[in-house]
Amino acid sequence: MGEVIVVTSGKGGVGKTTTTANIGTGLAVMGNKVVLVDTDIGLRNLDVVMGLENRIVYDIVDVVTGNCRLKQALIKDKRFEDLFLLPAAQTKDKTAVSEEQMRELTQQLKEEFDYVIIDCPAGIEQGFKNAIAGAQRAIVVTTPEVAAVRDADRIIGLLEAALLAEPKLIVNRLRPSMVKKGDMMDIDDMIEILAIELLGVVPEDEAIVISTNKGEPAVLDKQSKAGEAYRNISKRITGEHVPLMNLEADGFFRRLRRLFGA
Amino acid sequence: MKVTSIEIHSSEGAGQALESNNRPAEGKKEPVSWEEIDGENTILLRRTLRSCQSIRYPGHIVIMGDVNPGAEVVAGGNIIVMGNLRGVAHAGAGGYEGALVAAFRLNPSQLRIANHFTRAPDGNYPEPQQPEIARVSGGTLIIENYHSGSSKLFNL
Repeated sequence: MGEVIVVTSGKGGVGKTTTTANIGTGLAVMGNKVVLVDTDIGLRNLDVVMGLENRIVYDIVDVVTGNCRLKQALIKDKRFEDLFLLPAAQTKDKTAVSEEQMRELTQQLKEEFDYVIIDCPAGIEQGFKNAIAGAQRAIVVTTPEVAAVRDADRIIGLLEAALLAEPKLIVNRLRPSMVKKGDMMDIDDMIEILAIELLGVVPEDEAIVISTNKGEPAVLDKQSKAGEAYRNISKRITGEHVPLMNLEADGFFRRLRRLFGA
Repeated sequence: MKVTSIEIHSSEGAGQALESNNRPAEGKKEPVSWEEIDGENTILLRRTLRSCQSIRYPGHIVIMGDVNPGAEVVAGGNIIVMGNLRGVAHAGAGGYEGALVAAFRLNPSQLRIANHFTRAPDGNYPEPQQPEIARVSGGTLIIENYHSGSSKLFNL
């Protein structure tokens, strides 16, 4: 029996879909059987980030309304045998699926897969309720901005109310140089307000823009810092203990200078 | 609307300055006497109030946890936060001017007692480093350091 994990944030544009794609791919690389479920009905884009857009025939609404069998709607990833995507519908809206239907669907999926990763839409309305309906664990994504942290706080409150205990936090798009200058919220500030466990920190990385546009998750890019962060996060999800990576560009000369107290 | 800037009465000078204005009372409520609050109970909340969550209670409220930005606590009597108060607090909401707001870190975005109202100053200001207590004195809201002797200020 697998585990259902919802990736949520409240605010839009903080990287839920990118995180879902990368964690899912990261877990698949490690040999797990993974399915990614896009619940952003009407505004789907997990398929684009995964580079599977042109393979969609059936979608999540077809599955829950009995239009097709679950197996028919699952799209196999082009790189990994054991990675699948259940795409959202583009022509319907969030009310096309109910919470009860989502619970049934996730129940079916977790019998087949080790990890069911649900990409939650922005907002706190029906789409959010659907996304968390069948989940056992939650990952809250935020960026180091006051507005995003505020929404994350709101979401954590709603998750607690829905009895989804102990959500974990991913801080996305952190710029260590700005934090150092005091121009960006640092991790401690965010943890102090949100008071939940940190699952990982993903630095701002141009490679993400390139990889999402190409439909190739950055987690596969060995050069990318963000990719490395997502690899570490995937390991932590499976229960491995991986220390937070050092985000500062700590060159030889900088270390030397620090040694001499400059 | 009369706006006055007040300094916080703090022995270390570590308190922050709050802008204060006396909000015109809606419907011009008469001040409520202590006797009207006296019979009310106190509730203990053992959790953190997160953004958009609020608690309203006619008596006193004690929170063991934080009150995060965007959260709201409204009490007919006193409010005590054993944690960081960063949201909105309204003590003496029924009009009782003797109500108090105390917190381990009193750092609210907005603070109201009866029909008095202050808000955090715009921009950066030093965060409080010790427990503080807010009350109405001479028609304005003041904040001072909390020490054990302050307990006599609580009309309990």
